[in-house]
Amino acid sequence: MSFPRALCVAALLAAVPARAGGAGASIERRFALVIGDKTGGAGTRPLRYAERDARRIFGILTRLGGVREEDARLLTAASATEVRSAFAELRVLLQEAKAQGDQTVLIVYYSGHARDGDLRLGDSRLPLTELRDALRDAPADVRIGLLDSCQSGAIMRSKGVRAAPAFEVQQAQAASTRPHGLVLIASSSADEESQESDDLSASFFTHYLASGLLGDADASGDGKVTLAEAYAYAYARTVGETADSRAGAQHPVYLYDLGGAGDVVLTELLPARGALVFPAADEGVYVVLDASRRAVAEVAKPRGGERRLALAAGNYLVKKRDGDSLLVGDFSVAEAQVEVADARLTRRPLSDDPQKGASGPRWSMLGAAGGQFFFDAAARNGLFPPATLAGVELGARDDLGHELAWGLDLNLGGGSSTLRLKGVTPIPVRFGEVGGGATLWRDFGLTDALTFSLGGRVAFLFLSRTFPGHAELPQQSFFTLTPGLQTALSWQFTQRLSMVLRGRLNYLFYNVDKPQNLGFFEAALGVDYAFGL
Amino acid sequence: MRSASSALLVLLCACGTLSNEDIAFFEALPQKEQLHVQVPANDAAQPACLIGAADVWISAKATGDNINQGVDGILGLVDAIRAVPPTTRGTDQRTWGPFADQNHPGVDDQVTMFRELDAQGLPWRWIYTISARRKPAGFLPILEGEFFGAQARNGIGRITLHFENAHAVGIAKPTDPQSPARIFYDLSGDPRTVSLDLTAGLGLGLQSFDYGYAGYLDGHGRFDYAVPDPKSGCTFEVTTFFTAKGAGRDLYRARCPAFTVGDVQQCWDVSACLTYVDDPFAFTAQCNGVKPCKLGNPASCPL
Repeated sequence: MSFPRALCVAALLAAVPARAGGAGASIERRFALVIGDKTGGAGTRPLRYAERDARRIFGILTRLGGVREEDARLLTAASATEVRSAFAELRVLLQEAKAQGDQTVLIVYYSGHARDGDLRLGDSRLPLTELRDALRDAPADVRIGLLDSCQSGAIMRSKGVRAAPAFEVQQAQAASTRPHGLVLIASSSADEESQESDDLSASFFTHYLASGLLGDADASGDGKVTLAEAYAYAYARTVGETADSRAGAQHPVYLYDLGGAGDVVLTELLPARGALVFPAADEGVYVVLDASRRAVAEVAKPRGGERRLALAAGNYLVKKRDGDSLLVGDFSVAEAQVEVADARLTRRPLSDDPQKGASGPRWSMLGAAGGQFFFDAAARNGLFPPATLAGVELGARDDLGHELAWGLDLNLGGGSSTLRLKGVTPIPVRFGEVGGGATLWRDFGLTDALTFSLGGRVAFLFLSRTFPGHAELPQQSFFTLTPGLQTALSWQFTQRLSMVLRGRLNYLFYNVDKPQNLGFFEAALGVDYAFGL
Repeated sequence: MRSASSALLVLLCACGTLSNEDIAFFEALPQKEQLHVQVPANDAAQPACLIGAADVWISAKATGDNINQGVDGILGLVDAIRAVPPTTRGTDQRTWGPFADQNHPGVDDQVTMFRELDAQGLPWRWIYTISARRKPAGFLPILEGEFFGAQARNGIGRITLHFENAHAVGIAKPTDPQSPARIFYDLSGDPRTVSLDLTAGLGLGLQSFDYGYAGYLDGHGRFDYAVPDPKSGCTFEVTTFFTAKGAGRDLYRARCPAFTVGDVQQCWDVSACLTYVDDPFAFTAQCNGVKPCKLGNPASCPL
């Protein structure tokens, strides 16, 4: 089914009055468990945007989705045990709400790794069947599972699974019956990969799901985004945008086992205070970027009909591709609605795309201390004695592609030793050195917390020595470039901090007394701090 | 071609003065203080002496200081070798320069230093030369040194300063001798000996003489020197023996324009007061011209 058609179907389905609130005395109360985990343990590579995706969905559900903060749980880098614990907490709250006669909706969202029938939560596993059963048995009237992970369609190994562009929502058969039951939506089928996009700084599925929930999926224009509308929108955009990707098209799937009548409203746009409004006269695909130039939503707008995007207060940049150029404009969202008309946008060349490089590298700073040791015994005699070193390294990951990282480092060190010459009284030596270099390496995840890295480094080394008690001897110095190999083992013990054990094997060409090819080893232990997570 | 360029790039990237061998060369060069004459200084506040002050001994300190200044001037040239890294390095050879003499426009300086090793690889002999030229003339040796051992502080060596060449190149001071001066030193044992041979001519504020010094580790020693006597117009050539505290005895001979006579004996205490005088020629002032002259007690003489 084409994207416009999917939208039409969704719009028709959504035309059925959603039952976010009850006509009777009961109150609808919503609960959410949102999980994001970038690591999947051995054999997986860290995901770049899983945790950001989770935070986006959490923000939307608590701001527009009717989920109160106290009824929502956001878990990032959590273990399966912690997920079970959070689920158990919500179950208690659900039972309390049910006891009060409230209508209840439970939304579980997961973004992370999944493989072989398990959600990979770091080094721990949570079977998809366990999650499905927990959702099925949860004491909520409506249970919604949203899974954005590879092969997540495997959660629906049962009858009724559909890889279709839209739900078949029951028409209102009896006005008194509210929707009840289970809906599972997975970002990809059981044999597909779920893809992330550096351009979007998100996974494709979650990005379009979020864009839809913010308003672009409101095909009916009633200010409410229903489950059917959100799914239809996310399905169409995900399939469309991944069709030309290297991994191939990604097809979301769903299991819809919802009784009663009508659809479930996921977000309500009208009560939201601030919004960007795209007027009816304009058309095209608009990308909304936040202050850090990361995409927060997209609007794929046909001509005719206004489109409203309910955004949190803040400064946004809207861009739209128009032929061989871009239309770009800055907007500040606060209490009122802000109209985004093409006439208010500035034309720029494509080379000035503000989103370019928005995802950016992941920066980190390593502080380390260790030692330096030359293999050649003669070289260690006064020339290059064992030294103590301390330094810092600025690292950038996800900047060069091909999973390569680079870093710039600076080290200071020195020590003292004794120079022994034939027939000469031993001469005390005090030396200092400054080194720095550029390293290119690749990380290999061993476990959730352990990473092995291997790379090459080119550095400079400046060494100076003096001879205490021998004023007659002049200070000596030496400068050279030293290529080498670098390896490291890092253990991540908090979200931002890692303990790093690093080794370097270097080559040094010495040519003052006589040409010599020397090798030396550096070992250091340090702590790495990751910025901007 | 490409590999040659790469090698050149690497070579260009490795540079500096870090060299153990350079240190070995530097250690073979004598230092000023190693060749200094160390005559004990007497108490400046000299008490009233029974016989009188030991003027000849007191002049030893001044003479020693003059020698030290002369040695410092000569070794100042050697110090210049350490000040800049070698221009070229060979297995047993170092060369500095030629480079322009900063103090003498139009003059180039050059230093060469050679080493000879014994069968065990131990350095046993070093030869070094400081040369200068005023273009377009060729280089003339200004200082020649030879040293036996691995380390100047415990070896034997000689240094010849070619003042005649320094004058020829135009870098000598007006007070410098016109003839070569030689320093011999033996730092290999106890006593440490240093001699300055100025027999070829006057200079450095010193009489023409073969000055000799032997200093023991415990501070006592011997000092042979020459000092002018303005009163008689003679030059006293003195052989002095002194204790670490400054007491001592000497035997000197007076070399006068028309004759040479000796030997005069004097002894003094740690306050440089004469304790004994045996002066057949009454050169000693306290003799008041009475010949022969004997004053004090010979038993008071130390050593």
